[in-house]
Amino acid sequence: MGGELLRNIRKEFLIEFRNPSAVLSAFSFSGVATISVSLVTRALPLQPLVQSILLWLIIFFTAMNSLLHPFIREEDHGTAPFLRLHSSALSVLASKLVFNAVLFFSLQLIITPLAVVFFQFTLRSPFFFLVTLLCGGFAVTATVTVLSAIVARSGGRGPLFTIISFPLLLPILWMSIESTRHSLERGGFWDVRSLVFLLAFSGMIIALSFLLIRFIWLDE
Amino acid sequence: MNITKSVFIAMPASIILTFLYAPPAEVLGDAGRIIFYHVPLAWISVLAFVVAGFYAAVHLFSKSPRAADADMKSHVSATLGMFFAVLTTVTGSIWAKLSWGSYWNWDPRETTIMVLLLIYIAYLSLHGTLKDGEKRGRICASYLLIAAATVPFFVFIVPRLYPTLHPDPILNREASVHMDFRMRITLICTIASFTLLYLYLFGLRFRIAVLEKVRMGIER
Repeated sequence: MGGELLRNIRKEFLIEFRNPSAVLSAFSFSGVATISVSLVTRALPLQPLVQSILLWLIIFFTAMNSLLHPFIREEDHGTAPFLRLHSSALSVLASKLVFNAVLFFSLQLIITPLAVVFFQFTLRSPFFFLVTLLCGGFAVTATVTVLSAIVARSGGRGPLFTIISFPLLLPILWMSIESTRHSLERGGFWDVRSLVFLLAFSGMIIALSFLLIRFIWLDE
Repeated sequence: MNITKSVFIAMPASIILTFLYAPPAEVLGDAGRIIFYHVPLAWISVLAFVVAGFYAAVHLFSKSPRAADADMKSHVSATLGMFFAVLTTVTGSIWAKLSWGSYWNWDPRETTIMVLLLIYIAYLSLHGTLKDGEKRGRICASYLLIAAATVPFFVFIVPRLYPTLHPDPILNREASVHMDFRMRITLICTIASFTLLYLYLFGLRFRIAVLEKVRMGIER
């Protein structure tokens, strides 16, 4: 299982970097979206709550734009049947989850500094801000990865993905926005409840994903 | 006594209780009687979701021949849940206008029912996208289970984490009931009546779904 998982993770990165157009598009989208939104709001004195909402909206749409790709690619390229024969459903999900997590944290590395500079964030608690981004980003990745498998198997694309993702991402966005606002408004380590919620939510979604992936991914 | 007879006795009796037995609310007066419809509708919205999730789990994990119709039952319950969630939102908005002066305040409990409504919409969209068959059953059931697992966060955790405009829940932290005795009796009766109504509609809709499936089989 361990060797299979490592092989699949390696495969994910090799395939993506062999033809990096999708990854480059995701990076471009994240940068352009952040700069565009900040350009539109440049003359407005933004409150911390509005700044947090804008940041997480950009993160949400970046996730919608970039994290669907790994499962859809298998169906589009016709490699899904071979992958079903070659690897267990658990290792396929785990490898896609690792790839998506690495990709999404990399995207956040683009979005966050741009947002801090262009939205003129005043970080009263930088450590809490970073922890919130990590916990929120991980929760988004975990949720979107399993939902992208559902969308890929259903033959649907963008609109369906957004419809089925939004209700499950809403609590994550809600808690992350609250937590980010606290990190912009107050110093110290505030609102640990939101972080606990985000971690518990991620854990639950990952556990369910591993429990259900064989029903989603395999043709039984 | 079967469910049909019980519903035709319990529902009129509950309506009589709400208008003739229960006293007017202290601040809202007669307008406060909407609680006897709003609370049972909200209860049924959640109950329908739990039932849909239960049958989704049965569909995925049970090998019993009796589980053959579980996917259909899950879909029927989700459809009814969507209907009750819309009614909950409408009655809640009317109550919010009477109590707090605006139809929508994004109170944690209002947000909870909105998320539930969005999950129902997402599930039904996914169900509509996929063609009839075993794959649709498995994928929709998996989505419903993932979504169902998030409901306890909304129903039990979020309203207790964040300040709410809503009155204390009946099962509150002090384990005491802040409600007039006659109002309490009426509320219990309406909740029981609406539960019977849900069971009646569930049976009716399930029989219709079975007949539709038989008809489609004959037409093919």
